[in-house]
Amino acid sequence: MKEVLQFENVSMHYHSKQGETVALQDVDFSVSDGEFVAIIGPSGCGKTTLLSLAAGLLTPTKGTVKTSGVSFGYMLQKDELFPWRTIEKNIFLPLEIKRTNTPEQRERALSLAEKYGLKQFLKNYPSSLSGGMRQRAALIRTLAVNPDVLLLDEPFSALDYQTRLSVCDDVYKIIRNEKKTALLITHDISEAISVADKIFVLSRRPARVISEHTLHFDETEPLKRRENKEFSRWFEILWKELNA
Amino acid sequence: MKHETIYSKEHLLYLKGVQKKNVVVNIARFAILALFLVLWELSAQFAWINPFITSSPSRIVKTIADLYTNGTLFYHVGTTLWETLAGFFIAVVLGYSTALLLWWSELFRRISEPYFVVLNALPKIALGPLIIIWCGTGSKAIVFMTVLIGLIVAILNMLNGFMSTDENKLLLLKSMGATKLQLLTKLVIPSSLPNLISMLKINVGMAWIGSIMGEYIVSKAGIGYLIVYGGQVFKLDLVMSAVFILCILAAAMYALVALLERLVIKNQK
Repeated sequence: MKEVLQFENVSMHYHSKQGETVALQDVDFSVSDGEFVAIIGPSGCGKTTLLSLAAGLLTPTKGTVKTSGVSFGYMLQKDELFPWRTIEKNIFLPLEIKRTNTPEQRERALSLAEKYGLKQFLKNYPSSLSGGMRQRAALIRTLAVNPDVLLLDEPFSALDYQTRLSVCDDVYKIIRNEKKTALLITHDISEAISVADKIFVLSRRPARVISEHTLHFDETEPLKRRENKEFSRWFEILWKELNA
Repeated sequence: MKHETIYSKEHLLYLKGVQKKNVVVNIARFAILALFLVLWELSAQFAWINPFITSSPSRIVKTIADLYTNGTLFYHVGTTLWETLAGFFIAVVLGYSTALLLWWSELFRRISEPYFVVLNALPKIALGPLIIIWCGTGSKAIVFMTVLIGLIVAILNMLNGFMSTDENKLLLLKSMGATKLQLLTKLVIPSSLPNLISMLKINVGMAWIGSIMGEYIVSKAGIGYLIVYGGQVFKLDLVMSAVFILCILAAAMYALVALLERLVIKNQK
């Protein structure tokens, strides 16, 4: 499989008046086309830095980030829908930014919204939608410009537990359905196991990759995976590694 | 999607209660004003107080009527209104654009910070003599004073609004590849709309302070002129009338901004 994202010995240092912080230390991993990769690590270990590097928002202090010409879509912890725009206008936002706001592109974005049950909300403002629907709208907004790789920065952490499980299921299905590559960053072990083909475990700051696991489940849907007995075995393994 | 909703008896009762309370508040507000005016008028009529010093509602009405019949009412009101509005708009537009510039350039922001702090703390009236020498004794001097008083407040308020733009939303737009201009037009300006409204509200007050204070220092016409003139010749009816007119104008201008607020900020959460 073709590798779409490669981190080669990437180190990232932050400078401030208080001193220098080493967020990442020789991080090495890669994501292949069509994979769903999860990266887990203790909170505050530099996970968000890692996504910013992948998206090209930051330049590494050392090492290289290779992206082989793919485009990225970013999804954040909160939906970050603009409250002064309707759902439809929110979904068109990346088209406006990329100056590809053509009728065909808008049509494509709208058909995605329709396909995933947002049609009736298009003219509504975000404040009238539930947390789950808002996160779904945020996903459709990310998919509107047809990115090759989705970068997910704990996209469910702001939701309550019930909503979180169903939105995670929802988002997973949409991403699989649209055949996207995804890189999920989370501190939630069970979330990572329920969606990922491959999991990288990060150490405490300065973060390094301490292990790599390839998961084989018969089920693909997150909610079904959670019921599988393999699930708790993986949980135990990852829990130990994270707390080593 | 509006549809008729059938409410329960308890809810209707609750709504009635809310309405009742509103009626009470409105009646009380009006009653306080009416009571005050009546007491004032009676005190003056029965000479419990000296109407020469305190004036009275009827004398205020008569003074305003006189101003109207001799044709100077609208001249004075118009002069002050023009000065206030001109000063208000210049301060708001100049303040908004300066704040944009400061948002755009961190270097410019850091360099200019101490100047704004000092200018903000400086009582602008201290510049009165300079303004007279620079701008003469006409309306120009008063507009200049109004702009001076409103400008720094406008800049600092708007800059505060621009700088408090949600970091995550900025990150989201940057991840889409947004340029700085796009950050500004798609996010910073729309999300700071509530700050703009509150800046306008503050500047309504500032503009009236500026124009009246300007007229105190130097003027041949206007409401502030009437107040100073009335005080000097001991015509306190004139002073009271001018203050009364000022109350109405300031309230009307504030109401206009409040109306704008309701029109503009419908969907901000």
